[in-house]
Parts: sequence; C-alpha cells; structure tokens
Amino acid sequence: MNAEWEEIERLYHEALELPGSERTNLLAQASPAVRQEVESLLEADSSAGLLAEPPTHIAADLLDGQPSGLAAGQRVADYEVESLVSIGGMGEVYLARDTAGRPVALKILRRHLILNAQAVDRFETEARAASALRHPNIVTVYESGKSAAGLFIAMEWVAGSTFRAVLDGGAVEIAQMMDWGGQAARALSAAHAAGILHRDMKPENIMLRKDGMVKILDFGLARHGGPVWPEPSSMGASGTISGTLSGTLLYMSPEILRGEAATSASDVFSLGAFLYELAAGQHPFAGDTPLDVFEAIESRALAGVGSVRAGIPPEVDRLILRMLDRDPGGRPSAREACEVLEGVKKMGPASLQAGRPL
Amino acid sequence: MNPQDEVTTLLAAWSKGDQSALNKVMPLVYAELHRIAHRAWSQHQPSQTLQPTALINEAYLKLANAENASFQDRCHFFAVASTAMRQVLVNHAKSRLTGKRGGGQVEVSIDDVQPAVHQEAEEIVALHEALDALQAVDERKSRVVEMRYFGGLSIEETAEALGVSIPTVNRDWRLARSWLIREMKRTSS
Repeated sequence: MNAEWEEIERLYHEALELPGSERTNLLAQASPAVRQEVESLLEADSSAGLLAEPPTHIAADLLDGQPSGLAAGQRVADYEVESLVSIGGMGEVYLARDTAGRPVALKILRRHLILNAQAVDRFETEARAASALRHPNIVTVYESGKSAAGLFIAMEWVAGSTFRAVLDGGAVEIAQMMDWGGQAARALSAAHAAGILHRDMKPENIMLRKDGMVKILDFGLARHGGPVWPEPSSMGASGTISGTLSGTLLYMSPEILRGEAATSASDVFSLGAFLYELAAGQHPFAGDTPLDVFEAIESRALAGVGSVRAGIPPEVDRLILRMLDRDPGGRPSAREACEVLEGVKKMGPASLQAGRPL
Repeated sequence: MNPQDEVTTLLAAWSKGDQSALNKVMPLVYAELHRIAHRAWSQHQPSQTLQPTALINEAYLKLANAENASFQDRCHFFAVASTAMRQVLVNHAKSRLTGKRGGGQVEVSIDDVQPAVHQEAEEIVALHEALDALQAVDERKSRVVEMRYFGGLSIEETAEALGVSIPTVNRDWRLARSWLIREMKRTSS
C-alpha cells in the first residue's frame, strides 16, 4: 500500500459524506490522477448491486451434483421413467408410464431449486392451479407430490413439439395461425373464467400436438398475489436479468415489466405477441439486448402484421394490435380474441388469400 | 490428535502469527466443506434456503471444538473457511463455465439449463480475478470481501478475525465493493 492509495481512500470516504457540489471542491485539491481514481470509485459506488447477496446458486448447484438424475426404469411414485425429454430452468421433464402403461409427462423440480423457497412455491402452485383446470386445450395435470426424486407433477403426455420449434420454421399460413391462435385464446378464456392467470404465456409453454391440437402448459402462478417474475431462477445473484432471459422478456406486457400485478389482460398481451410472431414471422418487440426489448415493449411504435405480411384479414390484424395495446384496458378479453379468430375463420377461405411474406 | 483438536490447535497457531498453520488447516476445512456439501443435499428439507454460510457453520461445528471455542476462535475459523469456500465455489463455477457436466444423455447448453447458475458462475470467476487484483493493492480489503461474500461473516465477525475496528471493516467493505465493481466492468469491456 502506498501514500497515493491512502489518499484515494481518505478522499473517497470524505466525498461519500458530501453533497455533489462540495465533492467537486474536495477533489479539486487532489492531483488529476488521484481525482480521476476517486471519481471512478464514487461512480461505481452508486451501482453497487454486486455482492449484495451470497452466491446461492453456485452453492446450490454444487450440491446438486448430477443434473440429470433419473435413469430409465427408475420409479417416481407410481410412474416408471422411460426417458429424459427436456431440461428447463425450473425442472426436468421425463416421459414415463403409469401403472396401466399409459404415457405421462413427469416434471421434476430441479433439485437445486428445492433450495429456493420461491421456486418450490411456484412449482406447487403450478400443480394446484393446473389441476383445477379441465380443458381440451390445457394440458391435464393428473397428480403432484413428493418422491425420493424430488417434487414432481405427472401430466398429460403431448406427442408433438412446442411452438418454439414451430416458430423456428418461420411464419405460418394465416389460416393456420388463426386456428392455433383461436385454440390458445379459448384455453386462456376458460382459465380466466375460472379466475386463473397463466402469467408466462410464450411459445415454449404452448404445444402443438401432431394432430393439430394446441395444448397450453405451465399454468404456473396463482391468481392472487403481487407481481411475480415468471422465472425466479433466471434472476442473477445481483438481481440483474441475464441475457438468456430476453427470450422470456419478449412476451411480457408493459405492466409486468413495470412490476405491476398481472391481470388477465397481461396474458392477452403475451398471446398477442405470440400471434404476431406466428403471422409475421418476426417478433413485434425483437431487440439485440434485454434493454432493447424493454424499450420496444414500452414505447416502440408497432405496425400491423399487414405491413410485413400480405393476406391477413384486416379484422385479425386489428385484433392483434389491440391485444398488444400498451394500456391493459384497451385490450380485448381472451374470449373476444377467440371469437374474432374463430369468426373470421368460419367465413371460409374466401376471405383468406394465401399469405406470403411481402 | 483428533481432527477437532488439530484444527483448533492450528487455528490458535495461526492467530498467533504462524502463517504455515493456515496452510495446514486449509485442506481439512476444504475436505470437510465438500463432504458436508454432498451430504447436505440428501438430508435437506425443501422450502429452506441453503446458503454457503450454512455449510461453513456446519463445518465449524464439526471441525472445531465449538463448545469451548471463544468468539475469537470462531471468527478465525470462519476467516479460514471463507478462503476455502472461495476456492470451492470458484472451482465449481469454472467447471460450470467450461461445460463439464455429468450425465450426457441429452445435449443441453448450460444457458438453457440454468441461466442464473451460469450468470452467477461468470460473476464469481470475474470477482475472483478482481479480488486477486485488489489483493495486490490492499490485501486487507480483499480479505474483508472474501469473508463477507464467500464466508458470510458479519461485519463484527470480520472485524474480530482481522483484528480491526468495526468502522474500519465498514469502510473497507464499501470501498472494496466500488473498487471491484469498477475492476469487473473494466475487464469485461
């Protein structure tokens, strides 16, 4: 340690006690090098989110030695594991068989998240909320509970893919989008009628069964309570949002981003963003960084799907824009969205020219 | 000598200024932390947040003769354990970032699996390097961060372990954080 460092230290602590104008006077006495050093430290001080929390995730991950725990043939409650299907932020999903040999999807909460009370809470709430819903377009939950392997949810096996995979193939036929959108809106409408919000509508949570049936997954969060970030595990130790979260951000309504409580209109907004993407082949709020996405959702002017894609019926284009209204009060209900999508569809292919990207 | 007495004796020697005692006690603490970490999982009750500090506490009860230990002994143990914890966590974070994972039946990128773990791993490795740089400028401040962040020591415990006053630890902690944040921003850009 040298004298200059000691001076930097002294000035830093003195400056912290002073209002801005007096800081300038204090630092004016120091040499330029020292002044610059102190100023940059003071500047860093104001952004001190770092080290605010202990490194819990790494510690928990260290404990969770084997990420993909279950092997074929292993039993979880009354189910026999067949294979690992996917690993997500919250859990691992396995294809398993019940005692009658029928396929079920078995979701196991990732073990390290058992250490996270919020994640456990969410997992249990998901099981409760979803088991209260019976709808052909909502994945049925059979059972949830605890087993030696951890917390699990056994649910309907959907042979198909998520809409993330569908979207990777680009824009779809307009009539197709309306059919799928209508089904998703109908499911949301039923959930909302039962007082249950989804709160995390995004392509990863919507599945397309091979026969064309749309199935919504992960009714994750309770109907009451304050604002909830969809994936608690995606928040870094310092409370910042990691880049990988931007995928989830894309479907968040402005009110959720502001930290307000979700309403049924927030689900409608997320569905609107998804429908826009399906029809246009591009996301309405695409951005390179989470901040860009934030800004786009908050304030970027949005042109209708018709501006990038021919053949969309004007009433459907208007519907999607209304679903994306920044004011929750300006959005249609899920039920109304469903009626518009199905109403236009019933008018037949005459009103639908084959849409091609412009 | 049983391990408890050995640790206590080594800690006592270290507190009297014998630096080599620290080198001898470290592997014992390190091994114990690993052992506890692995066992903790199987016995852990859901809905309970487990933090690194809890591991250190358990290691302490196990290794040191906790009942007879003074506050000072306790603080010294935690000071040592926080260094060990730093090594354990940094090593794990590094292996996470290089993608060493068990299983391997399904191809999954780390980002898909656990964004929070991945991000924290990056932060910890960056912090670890920045702490080394801080150590060169002001060793005590780097120790304060190590004890507070990796060891979960309170301001009072840190002051006791380092033999300085509480206001000094408060000041060190604040300046060190600013310094580290600046350093991490500088190296990441």
